[in-house]
Amino acid sequence: MPQSTASLDNTMVYGPDIKLGIIRDTSIQPFMSKEELFEIKMPETIKKVDIEINLTYQLRPGDIYPIHRIVKQISVENP
Amino acid sequence: MDEKMNHSLFTFSRSLLHGICLNEKRHRLISFNAFIVSFILIFSTLCSGSDQKPDTLKQLIDMYDPTSCQECHEEIYAQWQNSHHARSITGIFMDRYLKKGPLSVKNPEEATQKNFPCFKCHLPQLEKATDGVAAEIAAVILNNDKTTIQKLNISCMVCHQDKGVVHGLPESNVMYGPKAEKEYPEEEHMRVKKSPFMKQAAMCGQCHGLGPIFEFEHPIQCATLYGSYLHAYIPTGGSNTCQDCHMKKADHTCPPNFNDRKDVSERLRQALPMEVNTLAYRFQPTENRFVPMIVLKTKITSTAGHRIPDG
Repeated sequence: MPQSTASLDNTMVYGPDIKLGIIRDTSIQPFMSKEELFEIKMPETIKKVDIEINLTYQLRPGDIYPIHRIVKQISVENP
Repeated sequence: MDEKMNHSLFTFSRSLLHGICLNEKRHRLISFNAFIVSFILIFSTLCSGSDQKPDTLKQLIDMYDPTSCQECHEEIYAQWQNSHHARSITGIFMDRYLKKGPLSVKNPEEATQKNFPCFKCHLPQLEKATDGVAAEIAAVILNNDKTTIQKLNISCMVCHQDKGVVHGLPESNVMYGPKAEKEYPEEEHMRVKKSPFMKQAAMCGQCHGLGPIFEFEHPIQCATLYGSYLHAYIPTGGSNTCQDCHMKKADHTCPPNFNDRKDVSERLRQALPMEVNTLAYRFQPTENRFVPMIVLKTKITSTAGHRIPDG
């Protein structure tokens, strides 16, 4: 999301009555992509892993709109 | 502003009159005085125009009451009723801004158009009213008068009259639409004029945010969607307008409707397709040790015409 200060210091503030100027923008702009890489070490005894990936949109804290839910099962055993 | 102008003009006229008439005969003074009074009256009428500024909230609500449109445009009215335009003041915690922070007032009477800038977009018709009406609205919000709050919204006339044309002021008693002009019996309907501007993104951009707004006593920054459209979507080759995506087939619901949670999720799903790639392997940190590893790569690409999220 666009993160704004009051343009008085570098502290992020909420609210249209206080915000004035974007200091950092982590929103996704048109035609732009966001890539993330997660490397997860698993316990050595694990053979299969169930992965659930959720992308959500929070209008306000706790007010969650689900966007994507992708479930995958991956084997970490040697073939 | 008109009152101030007329007052200055009157003061100036009196001084002028006094200077000129010192050595004049009385009948000439009366004649000239009558001329000045007539001139002031004509000038005053020209300055203020024929439209009277609503000076009560009731007058403003009546002026923008959309119910007469409902009689013939039932479907569009029903769509609008489900839109955020129909509840532009409810649910945005305006009472918080009136109680605390730079926009707060000690009592509602202190609220003016200059010190309560939210109205610029959340109730733009207030621009036509007096500061007394701004104070009345502040009282309505602070008293949580829900019945009145529901009558304060972005009604038909806001877009189809006030905001419907640029490069000039809207004509009085004219409704603007994006399609061809239609003939209506004058007693039943206002005149309808075609306004190509209504199909343009800038039409929505009038309210949906370029960035900070500096023109008020306290600056504010609300939506920045139109700024993102102009400076990110258009430069990267985007060619749709706001209406293409948010008013398909003239849908006046103007989605997203954040109360329709399922539809919001679906729209976000379409706007932000996500790819996931996975890799499983056994990492060898030391000679005899093998650690199972999962590598996940996610990629979200925006197909929207503005930043997501905004705010």
